[in-house]
Amino acid sequence: MAGWLGSGKTTLIIALSKGLSQKGVKVAILVNEIGAIPVDGRVIQDYGLTVKDIGGGCICCQLAGSMMRTLRLLREGPNPDFVILEPTGIAVPHAIKEMLISAAPSGEITLGPTIVLFDTTRATKLLGYETLQRVVTTQLRDADIIALSKSDAVEEEALAGTAESVRVINPRAQIIRLSVTNGDGMAALTRVVEDMTVTV
Amino acid sequence: MDGAELRRFAEALMSSISTSAVKRGAKVIGHIKAYIEHQEGFLHAHTVGEAGDITVDGREGGPVGRFRLVVNSIIFGLTVEAVKEATDEAIRKTSTLFGLVLEPTSLSRE
Repeated sequence: MAGWLGSGKTTLIIALSKGLSQKGVKVAILVNEIGAIPVDGRVIQDYGLTVKDIGGGCICCQLAGSMMRTLRLLREGPNPDFVILEPTGIAVPHAIKEMLISAAPSGEITLGPTIVLFDTTRATKLLGYETLQRVVTTQLRDADIIALSKSDAVEEEALAGTAESVRVINPRAQIIRLSVTNGDGMAALTRVVEDMTVTV
Repeated sequence: MDGAELRRFAEALMSSISTSAVKRGAKVIGHIKAYIEHQEGFLHAHTVGEAGDITVDGREGGPVGRFRLVVNSIIFGLTVEAVKEATDEAIRKTSTLFGLVLEPTSLSRE
C-alpha cells in the first residue's frame, strides 16, 4: 500500500483491516516509517490491529533481511491471512517487490496487488512540482490499483481530470475513487484485495 | 487539560510546525505527524501543510495532567538541523501558549 506522504495510507489501512477482520480475515500490518520513533505503527496498534514496525531505514533498499525475518515471525505467531505492507511515502513499490521476490524462496510469499494512493486534493502539486513528480509518477506506474484518495474533498470536474492524468501515467491500473470518510470505494478495494493475489 | 483542549493543542502544534518550517524556507511540507499518549487514551495529528488539512483523531479520554508527545516532521528544502529547529521552536511556542511545561526525555533526530 504505497503512496506519497500524507496520501492517507495509514487511514485506509486501518479502515480496510477493520473491514477484513470483521469478515473473519486475519490481517497483520508491516509499517516502515521515516523517523527514529514511529508514529503510524502506534496509531494502527491503538485501533487493536496487529502491527510490526520496521524502522532504521528503507525496506526497499536497506532492510530486506529485517523484513523477511518479521514476515516469518508473523507466520510463526499470529499467522495472518494477509499482511498489508505500508512503506514510507517516498518508497517505490517495484523496488519492494523485487526485494521480496529475491529474498523469499519460490512460493513462500504470495503477493497481492500493489495499491498506490494518490491524494486528489494535491494533484497539481504532486504532478507539477519537479521535486515530487519523479517519485509520485514512479509510484503510480508501479500500481495495479490506483486509489484516488480524499475524493470527497474534490469537485467532480477536478476529480475526473485527475483520473485522466493518472490514467495517462498508468493505463493498465484499475482506478478507484476512494474516500475513507464517506466509504466510497472501500467495498471495491476490499474485493480487489481479497481476489487478486500472485504467487512468486 | 481536558480532551478538547488537548485536541486543540495537537492542531495548533501541526499548524505551528508547518508555519515555522515555511518561514525557514521549506519548499514542501512532506508530512508532519504527532502522536500523543497518556493514561486516558491517545491522539494522533497530521498535516501536509495545505490550508485546512490538519487532522486529529484518537481517543482523548478525560482530563490529562501529563502526556508523551512524539513528533515526526518530514520536510523538503531544509537541512536536518533546520527541520529540528523548526519543530523544536513550534513545540516550545505551542506548549507555552497552552500553559504546558516541557520535560524533554529523549530526542532522536534523523
